[in-house]
Amino acid sequence: MSGTQLDAGAVSALQGALAAEHAALWSYTLILAFVPADQAAVARTDIIAHRTLRSQIEQTLTDVGARPVSAQPAYTTPVPVTDVLSAGRLAVTAEADALGAWRSVLEHTTNVQLRAAAFKALAEGTARAARWRLATGTTPVIPSLPGITR
Amino acid sequence: MSPVGVAPRLSRRRALVLLGAAVPALAACSTSAADAGPDPLIPLAERARTDVALVTAAITADPGLTGVLDPLRSARVDHADALQKEIDRLAGATTPTAAPQAAAPSGAADMAAVRQAVDAAAREATGLIGGLPVERVGLVGSVAACCSAYATVLGSPA
Repeated sequence: MSGTQLDAGAVSALQGALAAEHAALWSYTLILAFVPADQAAVARTDIIAHRTLRSQIEQTLTDVGARPVSAQPAYTTPVPVTDVLSAGRLAVTAEADALGAWRSVLEHTTNVQLRAAAFKALAEGTARAARWRLATGTTPVIPSLPGITR
Repeated sequence: MSPVGVAPRLSRRRALVLLGAAVPALAACSTSAADAGPDPLIPLAERARTDVALVTAAITADPGLTGVLDPLRSARVDHADALQKEIDRLAGATTPTAAPQAAAPSGAADMAAVRQAVDAAAREATGLIGGLPVERVGLVGSVAACCSAYATVLGSPA
Protein backbone atom coordinates (compact mmCIF):
# COMPACT_ATOMS: atom_id res chain seq x y z
CA MET A 1 0.00 0.00 0.00
CA SER A 2 2.96 2.30 -0.38
CA GLY A 3 1.99 5.48 -2.12
CA THR A 4 -1.30 5.70 -0.25
CA GLN A 5 -1.76 8.80 1.83
CA LEU A 6 -5.28 8.12 3.03
CA ASP A 7 -6.30 5.09 5.04
CA ALA A 8 -8.74 2.53 3.68
CA GLY A 9 -11.68 3.99 5.59
CA ALA A 10 -11.19 7.44 4.09
CA VAL A 11 -10.74 6.02 0.58
CA SER A 12 -13.89 3.93 0.96
CA ALA A 13 -15.86 6.95 2.18
CA LEU A 14 -14.58 9.00 -0.76
CA GLN A 15 -15.67 6.24 -3.14
CA GLY A 16 -19.10 6.42 -1.52
CA ALA A 17 -19.20 10.17 -2.09
CA LEU A 18 -18.14 9.64 -5.71
CA ALA A 19 -20.92 7.10 -6.24
CA ALA A 20 -23.41 9.60 -4.78
CA GLU A 21 -22.08 12.36 -7.06
CA HIS A 22 -22.43 10.09 -10.11
CA ALA A 23 -26.02 9.33 -9.09
CA ALA A 24 -26.77 13.03 -8.51
CA LEU A 25 -25.46 13.96 -11.96
CA TRP A 26 -27.54 11.26 -13.60
CA SER A 27 -30.57 12.46 -11.62
CA TYR A 28 -30.17 16.09 -12.65
CA THR A 29 -30.00 15.11 -16.31
CA LEU A 30 -33.39 13.45 -15.89
CA ILE A 31 -34.72 16.37 -13.82
CA LEU A 32 -33.87 18.83 -16.60
CA ALA A 33 -36.42 17.12 -18.85
CA PHE A 34 -39.31 17.83 -16.47
CA VAL A 35 -38.79 21.22 -14.83
CA PRO A 36 -39.65 24.72 -16.07
CA ALA A 37 -36.98 27.18 -17.18
CA ASP A 38 -36.37 28.80 -13.79
CA GLN A 39 -35.81 25.45 -12.07
CA ALA A 40 -33.77 24.21 -15.02
CA ALA A 41 -31.42 27.14 -14.51
CA VAL A 42 -31.01 26.13 -10.86
CA ALA A 43 -30.48 22.51 -11.90
CA ARG A 44 -27.73 23.53 -14.33
CA THR A 45 -25.94 25.44 -11.58
CA ASP A 46 -26.27 22.39 -9.35
CA ILE A 47 -24.88 20.16 -12.10
CA ILE A 48 -21.80 22.36 -12.32
CA ALA A 49 -21.29 22.05 -8.56
CA HIS A 50 -21.64 18.25 -8.66
CA ARG A 51 -19.30 17.96 -11.65
CA THR A 52 -16.69 19.93 -9.74
CA LEU A 53 -17.05 17.65 -6.71
CA ARG A 54 -16.92 14.55 -8.90
CA SER A 55 -13.71 15.59 -10.61
CA GLN A 56 -12.13 16.62 -7.30
CA ILE A 57 -12.86 13.20 -5.79
CA GLU A 58 -11.65 11.36 -8.90
CA GLN A 59 -8.41 13.32 -8.93
CA THR A 60 -7.88 12.79 -5.22
CA LEU A 61 -8.53 9.04 -5.43
CA THR A 62 -6.19 8.75 -8.41
CA ASP A 63 -3.51 10.70 -6.55
CA VAL A 64 -3.65 8.31 -3.60
CA GLY A 65 -3.48 5.29 -5.91
CA ALA A 66 -7.13 4.22 -5.79
CA ARG A 67 -9.24 3.53 -8.87
CA PRO A 68 -12.29 5.85 -8.79
CA VAL A 69 -15.61 4.01 -9.01
CA SER A 70 -17.46 4.43 -12.30
CA ALA A 71 -20.96 5.73 -12.83
CA GLN A 72 -23.71 3.19 -13.42
CA PRO A 73 -25.36 3.33 -16.84
CA ALA A 74 -28.68 4.11 -15.14
CA TYR A 75 -30.17 4.36 -11.66
CA THR A 76 -33.48 3.38 -10.11
CA THR A 77 -35.42 6.37 -8.81
CA PRO A 78 -37.38 5.97 -5.55
CA VAL A 79 -40.55 6.97 -7.38
CA PRO A 80 -41.11 7.34 -11.13
CA VAL A 81 -40.24 10.82 -12.39
CA THR A 82 -43.19 12.01 -14.45
CA ASP A 83 -43.69 15.68 -13.67
CA VAL A 84 -42.26 18.82 -12.05
CA LEU A 85 -42.95 17.68 -8.49
CA SER A 86 -41.53 14.17 -8.83
CA ALA A 87 -38.49 15.65 -10.60
CA GLY A 88 -37.96 18.11 -7.73
CA ARG A 89 -38.30 15.30 -5.22
CA LEU A 90 -35.63 13.33 -7.04
CA ALA A 91 -33.31 16.32 -6.59
CA VAL A 92 -34.17 16.33 -2.87
CA THR A 93 -33.29 12.63 -2.64
CA ALA A 94 -30.10 12.93 -4.69
CA GLU A 95 -28.89 15.84 -2.56
CA ALA A 96 -29.76 14.04 0.68
CA ASP A 97 -27.81 10.96 -0.47
CA ALA A 98 -24.82 13.12 -1.34
CA LEU A 99 -24.99 14.89 2.03
CA GLY A 100 -24.96 11.55 3.82
CA ALA A 101 -21.95 10.46 1.80
CA TRP A 102 -20.01 13.67 2.50
CA ARG A 103 -20.81 13.47 6.17
CA SER A 104 -19.37 9.97 6.08
CA VAL A 105 -16.15 11.32 4.54
CA LEU A 106 -15.96 13.79 7.42
CA GLU A 107 -16.29 10.92 9.89
CA HIS A 108 -13.70 8.71 8.21
CA THR A 109 -10.67 10.94 8.19
CA THR A 110 -8.57 12.96 10.59
CA ASN A 111 -6.88 14.76 7.70
CA VAL A 112 -7.70 18.40 8.38
CA GLN A 113 -7.73 19.37 4.72
CA LEU A 114 -9.96 16.50 3.65
CA ARG A 115 -12.28 17.35 6.54
CA ALA A 116 -12.41 20.96 5.35
CA ALA A 117 -13.28 19.85 1.83
CA ALA A 118 -15.93 17.41 3.10
CA PHE A 119 -17.46 20.08 5.32
CA LYS A 120 -17.52 22.56 2.44
CA ALA A 121 -19.40 19.98 0.36
CA LEU A 122 -21.78 19.32 3.27
CA ALA A 123 -22.50 23.02 3.86
CA GLU A 124 -22.88 23.96 0.19
CA GLY A 125 -24.98 20.84 -0.42
CA THR A 126 -27.27 21.79 2.46
CA ALA A 127 -27.94 25.15 0.79
CA ARG A 128 -28.43 23.45 -2.59
CA ALA A 129 -30.85 20.91 -1.10
CA ALA A 130 -32.79 23.71 0.61
CA ARG A 131 -33.84 25.21 -2.74
CA TRP A 132 -35.30 21.90 -3.94
CA ARG A 133 -36.92 21.21 -0.59
CA LEU A 134 -38.57 24.65 -0.72
CA ALA A 135 -39.69 24.10 -4.32
CA THR A 136 -41.26 20.73 -3.45
CA GLY A 137 -42.80 21.73 -0.13
CA THR A 138 -40.45 19.41 1.75
CA THR A 139 -40.08 20.45 5.40
CA PRO A 140 -37.98 21.38 7.14
CA VAL A 141 -36.39 23.27 4.26
CA ILE A 142 -33.11 23.08 6.20
CA PRO A 143 -32.87 19.81 8.17
CA SER A 144 -31.49 20.10 11.71
CA LEU A 145 -28.67 17.67 11.02
CA PRO A 146 -27.85 17.60 7.31
CA GLY A 147 -26.37 14.27 6.34
CA ILE A 148 -28.39 12.44 9.01
CA THR A 149 -31.94 13.76 9.13
CA ARG A 150 -33.88 14.08 5.90
CA MET B 1 -4.94 10.98 16.68
CA SER B 2 -2.98 9.83 13.70
CA PRO B 3 -3.18 12.51 11.06
CA VAL B 4 -3.02 11.08 7.58
CA GLY B 5 -0.70 13.49 5.92
CA VAL B 6 -0.04 14.18 2.30
CA ALA B 7 3.03 12.27 1.22
CA PRO B 8 5.91 14.68 0.85
CA ARG B 9 7.00 13.10 -2.42
CA LEU B 10 3.86 14.27 -4.18
CA SER B 11 4.84 17.26 -6.22
CA ARG B 12 3.00 20.53 -5.71
CA ARG B 13 1.84 20.32 -9.28
CA ARG B 14 -0.02 17.15 -8.47
CA ALA B 15 -1.27 18.51 -5.18
CA LEU B 16 -4.28 16.54 -4.09
CA VAL B 17 -7.37 18.37 -5.12
CA LEU B 18 -9.47 17.76 -2.03
CA LEU B 19 -6.55 17.48 0.29
CA GLY B 20 -5.14 20.79 -0.91
CA ALA B 21 -8.37 22.72 -0.56
CA ALA B 22 -7.91 23.74 3.05
CA VAL B 23 -10.26 26.31 4.42
CA PRO B 24 -7.99 28.69 6.35
CA ALA B 25 -10.28 28.72 9.38
CA LEU B 26 -9.97 24.95 9.63
CA ALA B 27 -6.30 24.73 8.82
CA ALA B 28 -5.54 26.82 11.87
CA CYS B 29 -7.30 24.37 14.15
CA SER B 30 -5.70 22.32 16.82
CA THR B 31 -5.84 18.60 16.20
CA SER B 32 -5.46 17.66 19.83
CA ALA B 33 -9.01 16.73 20.67
CA ALA B 34 -8.11 14.21 23.32
CA ASP B 35 -6.65 16.82 25.68
CA ALA B 36 -7.96 16.92 29.17
CA GLY B 37 -10.10 19.96 29.73
CA PRO B 38 -13.66 21.01 29.34
CA ASP B 39 -15.63 19.28 26.62
CA PRO B 40 -15.46 21.56 23.55
CA LEU B 41 -19.09 20.68 22.77
CA ILE B 42 -20.32 22.36 25.96
CA PRO B 43 -20.14 25.92 24.51
CA LEU B 44 -21.94 24.69 21.38
CA ALA B 45 -24.78 23.19 23.42
CA GLU B 46 -24.98 26.35 25.56
CA ARG B 47 -25.10 28.51 22.46
CA ALA B 48 -27.85 26.37 20.98
CA ARG B 49 -29.94 26.80 24.14
CA THR B 50 -29.27 30.55 24.18
CA ASP B 51 -30.35 30.74 20.54
CA VAL B 52 -33.61 28.93 21.35
CA ALA B 53 -34.32 31.56 24.00
CA LEU B 54 -33.35 34.38 21.64
CA VAL B 55 -35.48 33.11 18.75
CA THR B 56 -38.41 32.54 21.10
CA ALA B 57 -38.10 36.11 22.37
CA ALA B 58 -37.83 37.46 18.80
CA ILE B 59 -41.02 35.62 17.81
CA THR B 60 -42.80 36.87 20.94
CA ALA B 61 -41.76 40.43 20.13
CA ASP B 62 -42.86 40.11 16.51
CA PRO B 63 -45.21 37.18 15.82
CA GLY B 64 -44.89 38.02 12.11
CA LEU B 65 -41.48 36.34 12.25
CA THR B 66 -42.93 32.97 13.31
CA GLY B 67 -43.00 31.46 9.83
CA VAL B 68 -39.39 32.41 9.15
CA LEU B 69 -37.92 31.70 12.57
CA ASP B 70 -39.88 28.78 13.99
CA PRO B 71 -37.97 26.19 11.88
CA LEU B 72 -34.71 27.70 13.16
CA ARG B 73 -35.95 27.39 16.73
CA SER B 74 -36.76 23.70 16.13
CA ALA B 75 -33.34 23.14 14.61
CA ARG B 76 -31.56 24.73 17.57
CA VAL B 77 -33.65 22.63 19.99
CA ASP B 78 -32.50 19.54 18.07
CA HIS B 79 -28.90 20.77 18.18
CA ALA B 80 -29.01 21.39 21.93
CA ASP B 81 -30.46 17.91 22.52
CA ALA B 82 -28.03 16.08 20.23
CA LEU B 83 -24.98 17.94 21.56
CA GLN B 84 -26.00 17.42 25.20
CA LYS B 85 -26.49 13.72 24.53
CA GLU B 86 -22.95 13.50 23.12
CA ILE B 87 -21.53 15.52 26.03
CA ASP B 88 -23.24 13.17 28.49
CA ARG B 89 -22.04 10.11 26.58
CA LEU B 90 -18.42 11.19 26.79
CA ALA B 91 -18.76 12.19 30.43
CA GLY B 92 -20.08 8.70 31.12
CA ALA B 93 -23.19 10.04 32.73
CA THR B 94 -25.51 7.15 33.48
CA THR B 95 -28.51 9.43 33.58
CA PRO B 96 -28.68 12.35 31.15
CA THR B 97 -27.84 15.69 32.66
CA ALA B 98 -30.81 17.99 32.87
CA ALA B 99 -29.98 20.70 30.39
CA PRO B 100 -29.76 24.05 32.13
CA GLN B 101 -32.33 26.55 30.98
CA ALA B 102 -30.83 29.41 29.04
CA ALA B 103 -31.44 32.85 30.49
CA ALA B 104 -33.65 35.24 28.56
CA PRO B 105 -31.58 37.28 26.13
CA SER B 106 -30.20 40.44 27.69
CA GLY B 107 -30.02 42.52 24.52
CA ALA B 108 -32.49 43.17 21.72
CA ALA B 109 -34.34 40.10 20.47
CA ASP B 110 -34.95 40.98 16.85
CA MET B 111 -34.06 39.70 13.40
CA ALA B 112 -30.65 41.40 13.46
CA ALA B 113 -29.78 39.68 16.74
CA VAL B 114 -30.92 36.32 15.38
CA ARG B 115 -28.85 36.77 12.22
CA GLN B 116 -25.80 37.58 14.29
CA ALA B 117 -26.39 34.60 16.59
CA VAL B 118 -26.81 32.03 13.83
CA ASP B 119 -23.78 33.36 12.02
CA ALA B 120 -21.72 33.10 15.23
CA ALA B 121 -23.06 29.57 15.81
CA ALA B 122 -21.99 28.49 12.33
CA ARG B 123 -18.52 29.94 12.85
CA GLU B 124 -18.04 28.40 16.28
CA ALA B 125 -19.07 24.90 15.17
CA THR B 126 -17.06 25.12 11.92
CA GLY B 127 -13.99 26.07 13.93
CA LEU B 128 -14.07 22.74 15.79
CA ILE B 129 -14.25 20.49 12.71
CA GLY B 130 -10.52 20.12 12.15
CA GLY B 131 -9.75 18.85 15.62
CA LEU B 132 -12.61 16.66 16.80
CA PRO B 133 -12.37 12.86 17.04
CA VAL B 134 -14.07 10.94 14.23
CA GLU B 135 -17.04 9.86 16.34
CA ARG B 136 -17.99 13.50 17.08
CA VAL B 137 -17.08 15.40 13.92
CA GLY B 138 -20.15 14.28 11.97
CA LEU B 139 -22.53 15.72 14.54
CA VAL B 140 -20.69 19.03 14.79
CA GLY B 141 -20.31 19.19 11.00
CA SER B 142 -24.05 18.74 10.58
CA VAL B 143 -24.79 21.43 13.20
CA ALA B 144 -22.37 23.79 11.44
CA ALA B 145 -23.86 23.06 8.00
CA CYS B 146 -27.38 23.69 9.29
CA CYS B 147 -26.44 27.00 10.98
CA SER B 148 -24.45 28.04 7.92
CA ALA B 149 -27.48 27.42 5.68
CA TYR B 150 -29.70 29.46 8.01
CA ALA B 151 -27.12 32.25 8.04
CA THR B 152 -27.31 32.31 4.24
CA VAL B 153 -31.11 32.24 4.17
CA LEU B 154 -31.51 34.94 6.82
CA GLY B 155 -28.84 37.17 5.29
CA SER B 156 -25.69 38.66 6.71
CA PRO B 157 -25.76 40.23 10.15
CA ALA B 158 -26.45 43.94 9.86
